[in-house]
Amino acid sequence: MKLHCQDITRLDCLRVLNGRQKGLEQLRQSELVVIGGTGFVGTWIAEMVAALNDEYQFGISLSLISRSTDQFRSRLPHLANRADIKLIKSDVRQLGKFPMEADWVIHAATNPDVRTHASNPLDTASVIVDGTMSVVKTAERLSRLKKLLYLSSGLVCGAQPALVNGLAENAPGAPPPDASFMYPNAKRFAETICSAARAQSRIPVLVARPFSFIGPYQSLDTPWAQTTFLADALRGKAIRVLGDGQVVRSYLYGSDAAFWFLKIVSTGESGDVVNVGSPVGVTLQDLAKEVAKNFNPSPEIMFNTSPRNIGKSAHLLPDTTHAKNKYELSVFTPLEDAIKLTAQWHLIQSK
Amino acid sequence: MRKLKVAIIGSGNIGTDLLIKVLRSPLLECKAFIGRNLSSAGMVKASSLGVTVSAEGIDYILKNPDCCDLVFDATSAKSHLEHAPILKKLNKLAIDLTPAKIGLMSVPSVNLTDSLAESNINMITCGGQASIPVAYAIGQTQTDVEYIEVVSSIASRSAGPATRQNLDEYIKTTEDGLKEFSGAKRTKAILNLNPAEPCVDMQATIFAKVKNPDIPKLSEVLLGLVAKIREYVPGYEIILGPIVENDRIVVMARVRGLGDYLPAYAGNLDIINCAAIAMAEEYARALPKTGSDK
Amino acid sequence: MNDRRIIISDPTLRDGNHAVRHELSVEQIAAYCKAADAAGVSIVEVGHGNGLGASSLQLGEARTPDHLALSTARANLTKSKLGIHVIPGFATIERDLKPALELGVDVVRVASHCTEADICERHIGFARSMGVEVWGCLMMSHMISPALLLEQARKMESYGAEGVVFMDSAGHYLPDDVRQRVELLASELSIAVGFHGHNNLGLAIANTIAAADAGATLLDACARGFGAGAGNTQIEVLVAVLERLGYSTGINLYKILDAADLAEKTLMKEVPTIKSVSVVSGMAGVFSGFMRPVTRIAQEFNLDPRDIFFELGRRKIVAGQEDIILEVAKDLALRATKGNQ
Repeated sequence: MKLHCQDITRLDCLRVLNGRQKGLEQLRQSELVVIGGTGFVGTWIAEMVAALNDEYQFGISLSLISRSTDQFRSRLPHLANRADIKLIKSDVRQLGKFPMEADWVIHAATNPDVRTHASNPLDTASVIVDGTMSVVKTAERLSRLKKLLYLSSGLVCGAQPALVNGLAENAPGAPPPDASFMYPNAKRFAETICSAARAQSRIPVLVARPFSFIGPYQSLDTPWAQTTFLADALRGKAIRVLGDGQVVRSYLYGSDAAFWFLKIVSTGESGDVVNVGSPVGVTLQDLAKEVAKNFNPSPEIMFNTSPRNIGKSAHLLPDTTHAKNKYELSVFTPLEDAIKLTAQWHLIQSK
Repeated sequence: MRKLKVAIIGSGNIGTDLLIKVLRSPLLECKAFIGRNLSSAGMVKASSLGVTVSAEGIDYILKNPDCCDLVFDATSAKSHLEHAPILKKLNKLAIDLTPAKIGLMSVPSVNLTDSLAESNINMITCGGQASIPVAYAIGQTQTDVEYIEVVSSIASRSAGPATRQNLDEYIKTTEDGLKEFSGAKRTKAILNLNPAEPCVDMQATIFAKVKNPDIPKLSEVLLGLVAKIREYVPGYEIILGPIVENDRIVVMARVRGLGDYLPAYAGNLDIINCAAIAMAEEYARALPKTGSDK
Repeated sequence: MNDRRIIISDPTLRDGNHAVRHELSVEQIAAYCKAADAAGVSIVEVGHGNGLGASSLQLGEARTPDHLALSTARANLTKSKLGIHVIPGFATIERDLKPALELGVDVVRVASHCTEADICERHIGFARSMGVEVWGCLMMSHMISPALLLEQARKMESYGAEGVVFMDSAGHYLPDDVRQRVELLASELSIAVGFHGHNNLGLAIANTIAAADAGATLLDACARGFGAGAGNTQIEVLVAVLERLGYSTGINLYKILDAADLAEKTLMKEVPTIKSVSVVSGMAGVFSGFMRPVTRIAQEFNLDPRDIFFELGRRKIVAGQEDIILEVAKDLALRATKGNQ
């Protein structure tokens, strides 16, 4: 059964690479390191690297650094047991063993779980800030480092203003200096650390700002719309939408995201900041409907009737003009396919 | 052979690189790795290698005077000016890797014997370590050395804030060193930071204006000197010359680092550390053979 | 946008030195200073092509040592300010900058490669503490993005520079490139922005006008464009164009034309033109001042100088690294013989 799941993700990668793999040429025969490599992004990058190596003989050597390498090994042997993928168990704040021959480093070590951010804001700060300092200090000693890519967050520019269709990279605004906003503030500070690393230590570093993703490898336990709707549907329950469902979000599929990150790290310029996400907005109501389509019988969709500040902007959409113009990146997997594939994957997983 | 007990003050990248070299040396033993912050990367590394660490600075040595006989100071010029008199009082040998340079300028392949007689020596500058042997060879073999000029080029990434804020000192020290060791009437030092990627290894070009250039003689002496240098700086290489081009002698040297803790392209930092280790090992060799270890 | 005043800084006697192997004489310096002063040029920059303290085997030995060049200029400038170009790593504060200030220099432009602004901190600080006008200069600025250029310019600002000049040392820019950079710098910095153009691709005037239109308030230009490689922005032409566009430079058109005529007669062996090798260096983005050593070494090694330029561009060699040309030539010559086997 697990085999079938692997097929889905492998086919996703091949589909995205088809006709586009030339854009990743710089990665051939190189050493890639992903810190925080066993999370959603790291896992999808591993899938993409495996596809590049198997299908196109790219010869990339991938190291995944994480605290959770043991779980990764038991959950995903099809990746963990590969000769071209090494697992290194380490906390980002104390990077002991590190592949010193690294050409490309992607710093994706973060805990995106909003519950942790709320309950443990100081720990959240430490992982992000101390972690980034540690990465930057290590990068100083890498002779062959071509680029360091830091995965920040689309939230660093604060709330999206009502009249704006998508947050551009240079959007003014910042999150309030409040413990409830520790995550985006810490990410913002980490971006500043990266800029300082460039200024002081000349590290070639660029920043990607991830918005929302969807796809296999995303834990259904997290309290996001795309995960809770799926979780509800898989449990055979009604899909419960908080609020009136008019909030607008967007979702980029896992294989798309992996391609985007690899293209950015290997062809980007030091100092660049790029939004990574889908510019195509969908209301939560429509998202729920789309999820429901994939189940038979189709689950009911319930809206929470408690009054909310309707009209107060809680939209979050990236403006991806820069990603498109500079990197030729766009949405490769339309949302309805993304949802279908994700639902399929989870259905197989649950058997 | 009895090992010389050493301490390193300064737990940044340079001090940590030095530590790894000390640990590799059959003649040296690191008894203390001293800095200001126990959680810095260097301190963590030192601990993981089983070396005693301390965040007490020079106080550690004052409190434990028998811990070592030689101290590498990789802190700052300001700090070394504080440390030097203390170390002198405690009768410790001091190798100064800061811009302070209050002791004898030392180039192992050139003035080893003189250096051994001193208790405070410094490694001049990276450009100095790379070019002074060449300048010395020119001084030894050419008549009337009118002028020597050294242009050093280092990877931008290997030049941290300390280097950048001390360019003038670098230039003056290198020029003084060149004059001292070559006997040239005038000297000039230029430093270029090269931001090219991939990072370039350190390179030093030595120009000399002499009366009647004698290249064969120079080549012979230089060959011998380079062999000596490569004993302690394996990455040192003469890549051009000696030749006469446009009426002047030109020699180009390249230094690739060992990559112990610093990146390999930072040959400029490595040559200083290698020279410092070489001197420490010479002090070790000069230790009296009789007597038991303390 | 409302204030149409432009400061012209004229490095004929500094950048122009590149074109004559730094051999400008005391007489030539005196003559041009008089003419530029009479024309009302704001700042007259004097010295070795690579600035104060740069006279060396690496870069060429100056016929007129710094102190003599500066004292001669000082004696022949009454209304115009005397400026110098200073690159840390070549010039030191004690040996070079202090004595220069004692000779009466009014404007100090501390310059570095566009990514290395932090080497300028001490020199800028010193000049500021001595009460003279200080600008930061970012050379070969085409080698980095506008965003990174801003980062470096901000450093200069923090060190106390009153303005930042970014230079098109290789003559590589198109007008839009210049406009984009000036707009960004002018909007983000609280200090003035300046531009220094070169003419390799025939765009020096257009680029300089683009800079002015986008908010630059200091522009560099030389008589007949006398400068490194294909030459700089031509001052007499620039003054005419700026006049037509409604900018005021304080420069008298007829007198600057006279100064240019004098410069042509007295300073240069030939008036700068865009030679083939300059087109190549402009395209390759390599420092114009490499032209002489590249041409010479190409001859010695029997190579096409254009190939050497493209290779230097590929390696991203920066100004001051003339010694690498020999290495590149050796390499190319070796490859050529291997190719012929």
